[in-house]
Amino acid sequence: MTTPTAQMVRIMIDGMTVNVPKGTLVIEAARRVGVMIPHFCYHPKLKPDANCRMCLVEIEKVPKLQTACSTPVDEGMNVRTATTVVNDAHKSVLEFILANHPLDCPVCDQGGKCDLQDFSHQYTATSRFTETKRVFQKEYFSPLIETQMNRCVQCLRCVRYCDEVMDVKALAPVGRGTMTEIKHFGFHPLDCEFCGGCVQICPVGAITSRLSMYEYRPWMLKRAETICGYCGDGCQMTVQTKGQELIEVNSAHGAGRNNGDLCARGFFGFHAASHPQRLTHPLIRRHGALVQVTWEEALEYVADRVNEIKAAHGGPSFGGLISGRCTNEELYLFQKFLRMAIGTNHIDSSARYGHVNGLQAMQLVQGTHRWTVTFEDILDADVLILVGTNITETNPITGLKVKEAVKKRQATLITIESLEPVVDTMSNIANLSHHHFRIPTSDTHHAIVGLVKAVLEQNLTQPDLAQRHPTYVNAMTSALQQISWQDLQAATGIEPDAFVRAAKVAAGARRVVIMAGQLLLRSEQGYSGCLTLLDLLLLTGKLDAPGCGFAPLAEENNDQGAIEMGTVTELLPGAQPITNDTERERIAKQWKGELPTDKGASLIEMLERARVGSLKAMFIVGENPVGSLPAVIHAEASLRNLDLLVCQELFLTETAALAHVVLPAASSLEKHGTFTNTEGHVQAVRPAIEPVGDSRPDWEIFSALSILLNSPMEYAESKEILKEIRSLIPGYSSLGPTPLPPKVDHSAVDRYLTDGYQRDLASRYHPISRASRPDGTVRLELAQSLFHSGKLSTRSKGLLQVEGSGRLRISPSDAARFALSDGDRVRLSSTSGEMTTEVKIMERVPQGTAWFPSHFGQAAVQLFECAIDPITHVPSFRTATVSMMKVA
Amino acid sequence: MAGTGKDVSSETLGEAGTPLFIVRLACNDPMPKHELILLKNMMQPGYTGSLADYEKTGGYQALRNTLGKLAPADVTAIVRKSGLRGRGGAGFPTGVKWGFLPKDYQGPRYLCCNADESEPGTFKDRQLMERDPHQVLEGIVLACYAIGSETAYIYIRGEMVLGSKILEHAIGEARAAGYIGKNVLGSGINVDVWVHRGAGAYICGEETALLESLEGKRGLPRIKPPFPATHGLYNKPTVVNNVETLANLPHIITRGPEWFAAIGSPPKSTGTRVFCVSGHVKRPGNYEVPMGMTVRELVYEYAGGMRSDKPLKAFIPGGASAPFLTPAHLDVKLDFEHVAAAGSMLGSGGVTVMEEGTSMVWAALRLMEFFYHESCGKCSPCREGSSWLVQTMRRIFAKRGRMEDLETLLDLCKNIAGRTVCAFGDAEVAPIQSTLKHWRHEYVDLINEAEAANLIRPEPVARR
Ligand SMILES: Cc1cc2nc3c(=O)[nH]c(=O)nc-3n(C[C@H](O)[C@H](O)[C@H](O)COP(=O)(O)O)c2cc1C
Ligand code: SF4
Ligand code: SF4
Ligand code: SF4
Ligand code: SF4
Ligand code: FES
Repeated sequence: MTTPTAQMVRIMIDGMTVNVPKGTLVIEAARRVGVMIPHFCYHPKLKPDANCRMCLVEIEKVPKLQTACSTPVDEGMNVRTATTVVNDAHKSVLEFILANHPLDCPVCDQGGKCDLQDFSHQYTATSRFTETKRVFQKEYFSPLIETQMNRCVQCLRCVRYCDEVMDVKALAPVGRGTMTEIKHFGFHPLDCEFCGGCVQICPVGAITSRLSMYEYRPWMLKRAETICGYCGDGCQMTVQTKGQELIEVNSAHGAGRNNGDLCARGFFGFHAASHPQRLTHPLIRRHGALVQVTWEEALEYVADRVNEIKAAHGGPSFGGLISGRCTNEELYLFQKFLRMAIGTNHIDSSARYGHVNGLQAMQLVQGTHRWTVTFEDILDADVLILVGTNITETNPITGLKVKEAVKKRQATLITIESLEPVVDTMSNIANLSHHHFRIPTSDTHHAIVGLVKAVLEQNLTQPDLAQRHPTYVNAMTSALQQISWQDLQAATGIEPDAFVRAAKVAAGARRVVIMAGQLLLRSEQGYSGCLTLLDLLLLTGKLDAPGCGFAPLAEENNDQGAIEMGTVTELLPGAQPITNDTERERIAKQWKGELPTDKGASLIEMLERARVGSLKAMFIVGENPVGSLPAVIHAEASLRNLDLLVCQELFLTETAALAHVVLPAASSLEKHGTFTNTEGHVQAVRPAIEPVGDSRPDWEIFSALSILLNSPMEYAESKEILKEIRSLIPGYSSLGPTPLPPKVDHSAVDRYLTDGYQRDLASRYHPISRASRPDGTVRLELAQSLFHSGKLSTRSKGLLQVEGSGRLRISPSDAARFALSDGDRVRLSSTSGEMTTEVKIMERVPQGTAWFPSHFGQAAVQLFECAIDPITHVPSFRTATVSMMKVA
Repeated sequence: MAGTGKDVSSETLGEAGTPLFIVRLACNDPMPKHELILLKNMMQPGYTGSLADYEKTGGYQALRNTLGKLAPADVTAIVRKSGLRGRGGAGFPTGVKWGFLPKDYQGPRYLCCNADESEPGTFKDRQLMERDPHQVLEGIVLACYAIGSETAYIYIRGEMVLGSKILEHAIGEARAAGYIGKNVLGSGINVDVWVHRGAGAYICGEETALLESLEGKRGLPRIKPPFPATHGLYNKPTVVNNVETLANLPHIITRGPEWFAAIGSPPKSTGTRVFCVSGHVKRPGNYEVPMGMTVRELVYEYAGGMRSDKPLKAFIPGGASAPFLTPAHLDVKLDFEHVAAAGSMLGSGGVTVMEEGTSMVWAALRLMEFFYHESCGKCSPCREGSSWLVQTMRRIFAKRGRMEDLETLLDLCKNIAGRTVCAFGDAEVAPIQSTLKHWRHEYVDLINEAEAANLIRPEPVARR
């Protein structure tokens, strides 16, 4: 196959001249001059397959008609797309395709957006076919996807998408000739990633979504272009509605950072907003019970209580916690509200759970709070290093970029993941890896150290680094000398040679991108692991090289926004340290007031203060610490101790159930605003439906309260908040939909190389002591599931149909060791507690490890210890050694 | 057939003195009028196809005389000079095909021996493999040497269980004798040969579908370009050659390209063809004759004439994909150009003969049923067209035809040929187009009969 090159050629299409890169496909060249050649099987995302034969065109000097979708242009080519011969060919192919088609448009969900309808209309196709049409029996396919194989035109787009783009390979044509059907493997319903890609890419109504079956005609729907609220990839999607009803989500080809691809959460997860248990009215606790009140009552009650508590105990007796799923405008206003209207610096957000680790490391080493690379750099990379990402399940769309880089653009992939490379119902990034370090999550850091050690020992360091910063290089060298290869091998199970090979590949490549995922970021070594990865880039001279960089992946859709809006205690808006006096002054002046001077407390410290009684009141927005923190933190007891707990929520969570006031908030499908995705793109969120019940966007609630508290922060719409943010944060105004990533700040790098590295060198590079796990135990880990993200997905009926409860995923060898089979129940116990659950045997789980999906993990969380990073204050509570026993 | 029913396992094979296999002699020409090349060994009484027998007839001398003595490019040049053309169907000049491999490509290249032989009326490759497997293997090793391949795959039709076992056994013998494997005959050249059995799809004989199938995928033809020469098996430079094509190589090397080029109808159709004569003849079987012999001679002199001495009504000269010809074409020379000029093709060499009294509509329907069954379904015109054609043909034969069906048939054929992914599309329309051309009245008669008897009635609705 030819790919377009830089060389331009001149060709004629229907008499029009067009200059295109050599190798461009005729169908694409025609599109440039506005000539649409009819097609079914062609799709720009897929390799040409030329099976439908719809796109036949005449090319001068070529005897037979050629398929425009698979013919690359050549200098001087003269293409005709509308001659009688071509027209007759199109008609005839259409006649063939329609021969066995059931023509059941009246009951087909594709009606009105169907390529077959459109082309039939265009060619006024009539059929001479009077023979018997073949009929397939209807078969149950899956809870979310429906197939109607009589309508299939066999273009294989679905099959090719699932293979080429998703790397899942769930679909295949079965049978031959006219009896060919698209099926999945095995005698059970389809079990795949449920990305919906096959539904989106099918040109006819042969694969459709069951969530919207028989619900609509396209012209009945209203469309809103918005951003998915689940993960940090920040996919652009079109939400289609009928009145207040959410009907369907899709994403146009080429749309957004996701290029029109979505994952199961984006495609099938939209029903959370319309869940019947949504909170629709403000609630106030009276005589122990939450009772419905009006907004006026609720807000006035809050304002009165705030005034009382503030008068008695001062601003710093308040704290606030907000979810990184709110819009930038809300995050910004929340911290402004707390800092200015309440007067406290005790502010935190869900970015604390891990994203802060990556950010602090980036700030320390390279002086940025954003990636210095973009998704395009992932696509263009020569070497990609994935560390603790489980990218398919955590950041599926970033995962697609990695797959494309490896499969289509020959990037070399190095993975430090706990996944076993096996073929499974889901794609597995380890299968594409060239250097796979299969290492338990808790030992990830050792593998990173192994790479750094190999770089230093093999003299792969950038030559002039040792001259410019001899103390850094010497310190690193001697620190790593203390770590022996034997110990590394014992800890990781990996031969030293494997580290050397991977290090050589990385050091020798031009464009290297390192991605760190939640399994690293949320672990005890989250911060130090990120620093060590940055050391790796520094030593090999890649930190500031074009196309190279470090990319911590955000789990929550707006973790990055939470950092940039200053919604963590240590940062001001613009991600400036709260200790930066010039920034404090500048911001105070703009805000026309004084910033609180107290040293802020992070989440865990706030809970501790609440427990001992020095923190009196909290605002908790969209977060559920009671449900998500391990027992050892005693979140419930702490919150029960508060004089005032105000929760803004969509649902009555465990935390909201403790509140004195619960205010119903609007979901991201019901409001305007912006989200910042993991790579730092600020993207517009637009409402698809009106706020459900009496719920209101969070920013409106902060704004209303501020007025009642006499420090009015009034905005007519969220755009005005964005305007304020832009005026406050230098450079933010220029960040449109395609911003340039920041550059490495060389003065920060110099500071780090001079003395910044010393702060925690010893704690990062220390000899490995290895405790062995006792018999009868497994290492329990919380695992991200592809089908859930955040607090809302477990309210989405589509996703619940795929994964409706948590099952402990164990490896086949552990199943054998504990004599377990699928569906057996086990009791897990640790010093912190115990739980019983069902097991599910999965080959991708490594031996000795058991994964519990974090979204059903409330019972599991109770078993975990909690370690708090002394520098970043990130609480990590995702692994524990537990004993496992089969129960009846 | 003494060998049938018994599982031929390698342990029972090759004990000294005992015949390896008892295979039905499909080649029963009592006294060949021309020198045999490919079938020569197996026609000798007692020839078992074992390595020892093959070596006795001068087997593997070509290989010995090539390795270390001729450069790979010299072998290609010899083959090109011999004029050898592919015996699989398309008749592409073999040496020229080899020349398309990229010269400077560093990395693996592959040879695939196409032994899928599924064309109705074709059964020569089977006999070449079962009766003289080493002749094919020597050809394979020579071809590998010429194109620089260290790995050859024999993609054998799944039903040919015996053939695959014989080949496996022969490969074992050749490996033990140093003709195959690492460092062939001490030359430093490595060639490994593997047998891969198909799973019963005609389309897997099409070279790109064969490659897909070998890669473990569903056997669907690929779009060309790119051609296998540059992007073949596992996307590597690959040559696909037919069994018979490869079996010619040892003889061309040993006796020289000039010798070969003088046989048959030079310059374009050199060498012999093993014609598989079947149908209403007295002695169906494989006959190796120089190209350029007339059909008349082949049928009446070699195959013993017509079965019940009725006149010949029709014949297919080159397998089911080749258009039917008539008695008027009996003196057409069986070589590439002359058969093409007569409106058919030499194809795979399967000559199917039909006597007077055969219904041509039935014959075309029979082949259409085959093509309908075997259309892989990848491209719309062939997938849908084959089902449309076969249903219409069934209707006409069952006396439920209508006069306008004939125009529709021809129009559909026109709309399939030349517009499909692979050459199957051109093949499937041949029976209908050619029978409608030569025997249209038989269609008309059936339709008239239907109309006269008022037999036209809607076909019962078939449900699956
Ligand atoms: C539908 C179809 C079926 C084919 N089947 C066979 C086959 O069974 N055996 C074969 O040798 N060639 C077959 N061919 C031809 C091959 O594609 C290819 O041309 C041949 O193997 C090349 O070898 P040659 O150059 O030695 O003839 C078939 C072609 C088509 C289009
Ligand atoms: S929904 Fe499933 S079958 Fe369809 S493309 Fe996605 S992974 Fe493949
Ligand atoms: S189901 Fe749709 S996309 Fe898949 S082959 Fe059929 S028509 Fe094409
Ligand atoms: S969850 Fe993430 S990857 Fe999936 S559609 Fe939403 S933003 Fe995209
Ligand atoms: S022509 Fe027929 S056999 Fe060939 S690719 Fe198309 S459908 Fe398959
Ligand atoms: S679009 Fe070109 S053949 Fe299908």
